[in-house]
Amino acid sequence: MFENTLDNYAHYNNLRNVNVYFKVLFAILTMIMCLISTSPVIPLIIACFMSFLIIFEAKIPWKFYLKFLLIVPFSFGLITFVYMAIFFGVGSPVLELGIFNLAVTSDGFNLGLLVFTRMLGGFTCLAFLALTTPMNEFFTVLEHIKIPKIVIELSMLMYRYIFVFLDEARNMYHSQETRLGYSSIKKSIKSMGMLGSNLFIRTWLKGEHAYIAMESRCYDGSIRTMKKPDNIKNMGYFNITLLLLFEISLVIGLYLTGNFTIF
Amino acid sequence: MEGFLPWYWCLFWYILALPVVAYGVIQIKKTIEKHPESKPLLAVSGAFIFVISSLKLPSVTGSCSHATGGGLGAVLFGPAAVSVLAAIVLVFQALLLAHGGITTLGANIFSMGIIGPFVAWLVWKGARKIGWSVSIAIFLAAVIGDWLTYITTAIQLALAFPIPTFPEAVVKFIAIFAYTQVPLAIAEGILTVVIFEYIMKLRPDILRSLKVIGPEEPKKPTAKTPEVA
Repeated sequence: MFENTLDNYAHYNNLRNVNVYFKVLFAILTMIMCLISTSPVIPLIIACFMSFLIIFEAKIPWKFYLKFLLIVPFSFGLITFVYMAIFFGVGSPVLELGIFNLAVTSDGFNLGLLVFTRMLGGFTCLAFLALTTPMNEFFTVLEHIKIPKIVIELSMLMYRYIFVFLDEARNMYHSQETRLGYSSIKKSIKSMGMLGSNLFIRTWLKGEHAYIAMESRCYDGSIRTMKKPDNIKNMGYFNITLLLLFEISLVIGLYLTGNFTIF
Repeated sequence: MEGFLPWYWCLFWYILALPVVAYGVIQIKKTIEKHPESKPLLAVSGAFIFVISSLKLPSVTGSCSHATGGGLGAVLFGPAAVSVLAAIVLVFQALLLAHGGITTLGANIFSMGIIGPFVAWLVWKGARKIGWSVSIAIFLAAVIGDWLTYITTAIQLALAFPIPTFPEAVVKFIAIFAYTQVPLAIAEGILTVVIFEYIMKLRPDILRSLKVIGPEEPKKPTAKTPEVA
């Protein structure tokens, strides 16, 4: 519980210094390509390509990537795939299961496969974004697309406090655990309730203290931060061309494989 | 989960969720203009919701689930503010933990940030008006809020995959969720009650200043609560 977040990888990876707009545009556009795909081919290619970038370009340890990131969406996707293949078909059965009169139908199978690959593709795009882009650089992008200032300020403060509270929650959880606080279901509920309420009270005190501290430093209702380090213009023509070429080839791929099905 | 919904449904839920979040932003702006001290408080509350959402609940079936934290938040801060906080929390969950997703953000905000908290808040207000005790009201608010969140999710999924027909798909998806969510929501409800009762015992002044409970509850006021401006 309260495992390491992806934050330290976002700060220490090989693609850390790549222009943030480039990374965000690349991830989001590819994600959209994945989403509008009607065949499982393109999402699968995207998933492989993104995983390649994450492991070999960003140099995220592959063990971490496979174990903590890919397992959950993969198993979730697989369950969905099986469920859809069996229950979401109306066409002719291609495989009788022999129990409960269940059968895999071709349209159910195709739909399940499509959703499964789309999920994998979309997830790898998200993982790419999460693993290579630090949050504070992401805020500058949000500022650029005119998200209300108050929302950005709230998110910045939240970003700071999330780690403070995760730390406190982790400490409380471990000390409760060493005192057998989670040895039965009843005790776990009680311990967890204590943890949650204590966290809330501390949250509240921290918030009050933060306000006092900010006010004593001339807080007038707005937080000013350093100028944005990156600009969409200094992304470089080479990178822009590369990005466009990649997305265009994906579109062509989408068009060509649009009607591809296995059954 | 990222990539689960077709693109037109992603767009649809974004369009549905945005006005509510925008309304919440306007509300928060108004509150902050009146009470500038509420900005850090809102921020730490958001962080609190994030941490609560990353708690894994022990449940009867042996599986674990992530509490939504929305019910408690809605009762404490009101549904409009929670919709904004939940939206930010969901973005953080996507980018820090790779949970949820960017494309399904609209749908997730709609089910977890709008419907769930709003229903929880209504139940809480209603139950308090009838005169039920704080514990029962908060339990019902958390449980019903959680169920409604999952029913909304089931409807969203069924709209995206109406096979063979929409109503049948709704029933199918609700059936999947029901196995885990009926006991989990009850566990979450109990947890929320425990959290709330501890807060009431230790720092009732916070709840009073949020106007969650009236000035007379609980009967015996705790001694020496430090006065912070």
